[in-house]
Amino acid sequence: MSDRRLILAVETSCDDTCAAVLTRDGEIRANVISSQGIHDRYGGVVPEIASRHHLELIDAAVADALRQAETSLPELDLVAVTRGPGLVAALLVGLSSAKALAAAHRLPLAAVDHLHGHVAASFIGDAPLPPPFVSLVASGGHTFVARVEDHGPGYAVLGQTLDDAAGEAFDKGARLLGLGYPGGPALERLAADGDPEAFAFPTAARVRGLDFSFAGVKTALLYAVRDLGSEAPARRADLAASYQRAIVESLATRAARALEHTGLHRLAIGGGVAANGALRARLGELGAQLDVPPRALCTDNAAMIASAARFTPALEYPRYLDLDVYASGELPRCASPR
Amino acid sequence: MRILGLDTATRATTVAWLDTETGAAVGRRDDPPRGARPRHTPRLMGLVVETLQEAGVDWDGVDRIAVGVGPGTFTGLRIGIATARALAIARAIPIVGVCTLRALAGGAALAACEHGRAALAVLDARRGEAFAAGWSTPSHDPEVMAAASPSLRPAALAPDEFAAALRAGGGRWLAVGEGAVAFRTTLERAGVLVASDGSALHRVGALSHCRLASALEPEAPHAVRPAYLRRPDAEIALRARERDSPMPSTATPDDRHPR
Ligand SMILES: [Zn+2]
Repeated sequence: MSDRRLILAVETSCDDTCAAVLTRDGEIRANVISSQGIHDRYGGVVPEIASRHHLELIDAAVADALRQAETSLPELDLVAVTRGPGLVAALLVGLSSAKALAAAHRLPLAAVDHLHGHVAASFIGDAPLPPPFVSLVASGGHTFVARVEDHGPGYAVLGQTLDDAAGEAFDKGARLLGLGYPGGPALERLAADGDPEAFAFPTAARVRGLDFSFAGVKTALLYAVRDLGSEAPARRADLAASYQRAIVESLATRAARALEHTGLHRLAIGGGVAANGALRARLGELGAQLDVPPRALCTDNAAMIASAARFTPALEYPRYLDLDVYASGELPRCASPR
Repeated sequence: MRILGLDTATRATTVAWLDTETGAAVGRRDDPPRGARPRHTPRLMGLVVETLQEAGVDWDGVDRIAVGVGPGTFTGLRIGIATARALAIARAIPIVGVCTLRALAGGAALAACEHGRAALAVLDARRGEAFAAGWSTPSHDPEVMAAASPSLRPAALAPDEFAAALRAGGGRWLAVGEGAVAFRTTLERAGVLVASDGSALHRVGALSHCRLASALEPEAPHAVRPAYLRRPDAEIALRARERDSPMPSTATPDDRHPR
């Protein structure tokens, strides 16, 4: 039986202002992403600036999503919103708006964990992936590998980054190579002309188990650039290729270990780093069935929040009126079976 | 006209409902204890629902929404405005933004007139500064107060600038607001009368917003924006660096967050 009841979701955890409409059975009716594109000159996302823009953009994003889905608030079945983790001031814009939209029509509200959202991106799209599978989520804000037994909201975090996120490592590397911000895609383009074996950057092989660490490779790149001195500009492509290879290896090694550890044969990737071609190619060699959602579902978006909301217990009106956001700390929600 | 008002520009969360025809009014507020964080997020929508319940109305008993647009704490302003705009859009209710300082001064109009003084509204802008605005002829009449242009325009002021602005204003002031208490010494030295510390005149109350809103023209929801009166720190720092060097620059590490 198909379930066409509609969910409106709002996501403002970082610098993208997002609203989406999804059916209960996972069909995407609208997935609006307003990228702020004003953080490049700051070399990173500035919370106060991101929050100001969220307030400017949120109502239009919601209106666009409802219009594209040819629906209206009273016709909705559920409102969903990201409660955390993320930038508190940014999250508050989405939560305040979502609470008021829901309360105005006495709709239930689902408070969704952003990371559950990234995992749940694999449940929707043209080829939804049924659990169980291993999920590797890598973005500028988070990097973790999880065992996904069912649709959630729980899932077992097997490993997470001990320092930087993978996307953050890409951005910092790009900055060291003079590529500006955000540098991930630029670094990937530069790497295409380089030799990934030119420099032996560390892949955090010494970090046991399934946790990640990207501080070492970043430092190694810094020293390599310094040691090369005036030669560095001529070696930029090799540096980029070797740096990318180290990050990709680090991610792929943990994904392989997680597949082995769980005995599962399906691997889903999510987060902005999932767009990286070298990572996709390397993960494709692991022998598991690889699921890569389309880019609009990998980077931060509200469709994934609506997807997760289908499996998150909703709060009936007025029980959500006192909800607050959280910056971090709700993960891992299941004990790690390490 | 029945108006729902709310303000989260200060540490307080304040909500009110006013029927301008009958004069029936309901007000609810949350003031966190000294040193505690504001409770805008967990309390605002609950107070809205409680206020309407006590007024005995549903959304069709609200003809207009009035929201305080500051100046005040940036996060607080966004919580209030995001909430008010979403309610207005969801229920197709006209909305109007009300300057929090004007509402504060309007609430002190009677007291100011009694003392034969102009009304000065002062909020704490942190970092040793005050958000302030003054009206030389404050009025309890919403029509008059809503239209009155301030003799001291809303601004973020350091104490010395503040004192200079007050002298230039030339008026005899009655100062109200949490900032008036915080800057009592500076103000009194400039000849300003500051209401006693515990006075209710210092508290921003949404009933004042309701009164003023009855005399203001509704706006498009997206036109209701925070009166930050201050750029983000990172932008100020960036502009300073861009002025000092033509090289592209980055934000300070603690201001920055990875995406
Ligand atoms: Zn994310």
